[in-house]
Amino acid sequence: MLHFRTEGYNGCAVKYSPFFDNRLAVAGSANFGLVGNGRMYILELTPNGIVPVKWFTTQDSLYDLAWSEIHENQVLTASGDGSIKLFDCNLNDFPVQNWKEHNREVFSVHWNLVAKDRFCSSSWDGTVRVWTPDRPHSLVTLPTHSCTYSASFSPHSPDILSCVTSDSYVRLFDLRTPASASNHLTLQIPIHAAPVSPIPGKPGVPPAACPPSEALTHDWNKYRPSILATAGVDRTIRTFDIRAPQQGPQTVMVGHDYAIRKISWSPHLSNVLLSGSYDMTCRAWNDQSPPGVVGDVDSMRAGPSPTMGVEMGRMSRHTEFVTGVDWCMFGSEGWCASVGWDESLYVWDVRAVMG
Amino acid sequence: MSSAQQRLTQVASHFTPGGKKGVAAITEKHPDDIVVTCALRSALTKGGKGGFKDTAAADILAGVFKGVIEKSGIDPNVVEDVAVGSVLAPGGGATEFRAAALVAGFPETTAVKSLNRQCSSGLQAIVDIANAIKSGMIEVGIGAGVESMSSQYGPGAVTEFSDLLENHQESANCKVPMGVLSENMAKDRGISRAVQDAFAASSYQKAVKAQKAGLFNEEIYPLQVKWTDPKSGEEKTITVKADDGIRDGITAESLGKIRPAFAKDGSIHAGNASQISDGAAAVLLMKRSTAERLGQKIIGKYVAASVVGVKPLLMGIGPWKAIPVALEKAGITKDDVDIYEINEAFASQCVWCVNELGLPQEKINPKGGAIAFGHPLGCTGSRQISTLLTELKRTDKKIGVTSMCVGTGMGMAAVWVRE
Repeated sequence: MLHFRTEGYNGCAVKYSPFFDNRLAVAGSANFGLVGNGRMYILELTPNGIVPVKWFTTQDSLYDLAWSEIHENQVLTASGDGSIKLFDCNLNDFPVQNWKEHNREVFSVHWNLVAKDRFCSSSWDGTVRVWTPDRPHSLVTLPTHSCTYSASFSPHSPDILSCVTSDSYVRLFDLRTPASASNHLTLQIPIHAAPVSPIPGKPGVPPAACPPSEALTHDWNKYRPSILATAGVDRTIRTFDIRAPQQGPQTVMVGHDYAIRKISWSPHLSNVLLSGSYDMTCRAWNDQSPPGVVGDVDSMRAGPSPTMGVEMGRMSRHTEFVTGVDWCMFGSEGWCASVGWDESLYVWDVRAVMG
Repeated sequence: MSSAQQRLTQVASHFTPGGKKGVAAITEKHPDDIVVTCALRSALTKGGKGGFKDTAAADILAGVFKGVIEKSGIDPNVVEDVAVGSVLAPGGGATEFRAAALVAGFPETTAVKSLNRQCSSGLQAIVDIANAIKSGMIEVGIGAGVESMSSQYGPGAVTEFSDLLENHQESANCKVPMGVLSENMAKDRGISRAVQDAFAASSYQKAVKAQKAGLFNEEIYPLQVKWTDPKSGEEKTITVKADDGIRDGITAESLGKIRPAFAKDGSIHAGNASQISDGAAAVLLMKRSTAERLGQKIIGKYVAASVVGVKPLLMGIGPWKAIPVALEKAGITKDDVDIYEINEAFASQCVWCVNELGLPQEKINPKGGAIAFGHPLGCTGSRQISTLLTELKRTDKKIGVTSMCVGTGMGMAAVWVRE
C-alpha cells in the first residue's frame, strides 16, 4: 500500500489519469473544505513511492476533479466559489480556463467519455451544467431545484447524463430531446420510493421502511448500459435499472456505518464496485449479478428484486472521513486509490483486502 | 449564515439519516410535497343579521367552489375528491354538499364527502385530502369547510344523551355547553376578565386595521346572494365581499361594560367570545409534481398536522396540547414559526394557550380572529389557511401554524410553509 500526505489539505477527490498508468490527481481543501484555499495535486507513482509532480493552489476549496479525455495534461476542478477551472500540467500556477456560472459550491465535474469535447458539472445551487472546453459559457443548464451532489455522463451514450440530489431522486437527462419546459429531463427515479407492483391492479409492496434522504454520489456501470448505482446519507448503496425505473432498486448493499461519499464501478468487472464513507472505510462490493456480462440483462428473467449485494472486503487505513475513491484502469484489475480528510492518499490493491 | 457555516451545516446534515432537520428540511421542495395552489374563503357574516343570513350553507359553499375553479384555473375534471367539514348541518350535509359541487361546475366524477370534527372540521377536511393524496388514493382534491349558523345553529344540534352516556361522568361532560365550561375554565385557571377583554379588543383593532388596509381582499371571494331587508321585508340581490362582524372603536374599556353571559360573576360575554357567523372556505391540494404538470401556481405547502384529546371540560386547552405535537412532527421549534393562527373560540382559552406555550403576542392572529370577524364552526379550519398564507406572503415570511380547540375536548394543529 502506497501513501502520500497532502499536508494542510484534506482530500476531497482522487482520479487516475486516463492516459498514463502512473499518474493521478487529488483535489484537496484546507480546513475540511469549510473555509480557506484549495489545492490540486498531480502525482506520479515511481519506484520511490508517490511523488508530487506539480500542484495548483486555488482561492477557495476544491471538491472534485476530472481529467480531460482529449488532452493528456489537462484537469478540471470543481470549486467552492462556484467556479470550474481547467489546469494544464505543463504550465504553472494559473488555470488555462475559468468558468463561473454556478451560484454556489460546485460539487462534481465529469468528462464525457464518448463525446470527448464535453463535460458536465453539478452544484449546490440546484443546477447541472454542460460545457465544452473551448467556449466561455455553458451549453445547457439543467435545473434540479435541489442541492446536486453528483452529475455524470453515461459512459455508453454521448447525450445522456444523470445526477443525484439531496431530494433523493436520480434524474436522467437526454440532450437529444427538444428543449422544452422539461429541460431535457426524461426520467426521475425516486431512490427511496416503494417499487410499483409489476402486475397492474395489484397492490404494490408496502412503502419502503426508510424515509427519503440525501443522495451524495452515483456512478454508471461500465459494462451494463442501463445500470447505475447510487449512495448517500442513508448508508446504503442501491443499483437501479433505468429501463425499469418504477421497480425499485435491483440490488441493495448495506454495511457502511455512516454516509457514503463516493462510489465507483470497477472498470474491469461488471459486478464490482468500490465505496468510500464517513465511517473511514473503503469497501468493495459485489452486486451479485452474473459475472462477465456485457450489455443489457433481461430484468424480467431476474428473480424478485432487490437482491442483497455482498461486501467482499474493506480497507480501514484512513483515520478520517473517506471522500474519494477511484479505480486504476491500467494493468491488472484491483488497483485503486482513496483519499480522505486525514490528508492521506492511499494507493492499494482491492485483492489484498479481500478475504 | 456565513459560507463556512453553511458548508458545515451541509456536511452535518449528512449525519442525520432522516435527512435535514428543522426549517431547512421543511422549506425544501420535493416532488411529492403536498402543496396548496389556491386557498379562498367567502366573507364571514353575522349570524341572523349579516349578508348570508338568507343563504343556505350549500349555496355559500358552491360560491366558494366556483371561486376556486375560477381563481386557480384548475380543470374541474382533474379534481377527484372534495371533503367538506361542517358541524351543524343535519345528516352532516352530505347530500347538499355533493349537490353544491355539481352546481359549482364539478363533473359527476368528482366525489364529495362531509365530515364533522366540531370546530376543527375545516382543517380535518384539508388533512384528510392531503393524506389521500400522500397515500396515492387521489391526485387532486379540495378540503373545505362551511357553516350557516343563521339557519342551523340551535339546541337541535345535539341529540339527547342515553342513560349509558349520562351515567358516565366524563362522557356526560361532553355535552356541557361551551360557554359554561369556558367560564369554569377561566375561573379555574385564573384568567381575569381584564386580560380577556384586552385580548378581545386587540383582535377587533387588528381586524379593523387589516380590513381598512384591504388585507382580506385577496383571500375573500365575493358572492352575489339574495338578502331580505328586515325593516322593509324587501328582497334584494347584494354582493357580500367583506366580513361584516368587524366593528371599529372597540377598546378593552368599552368591552368592560358588557354584562357576563353565563354567570353573574363571570368573565365571558358577547364581546370576548367568538361571533356566531356564516361562511365557507376551500383549499385546493395536490402533489408538487402534479401542480407543476398542470401549471398550477403553488402558494403554500402542507407539512404536518396533529390531533390530540384533552378533558371534555377543558376543551379550550386543545391548542396548547396540539401545537407542540404538530411542531415536533414537522421537526421545528415554536420560535421557527412566523405566524400562529389560533382560533379565538373564547378570549379566555386562546390567551391561556398562548401564554402557556410562551408565544409572542405579535405572532398570534395578526389580522384578528374569530372574536372580531366570526367563527362559522365548520368553516374556520379552512378559513385559517387563506388568512395565514396571504399574511405570510405579504410580510415575506415562511412558516405558519393553524390551530383550534375542539368541542368535547380535543385540539388540532397544522404546520404550513408559504411559497
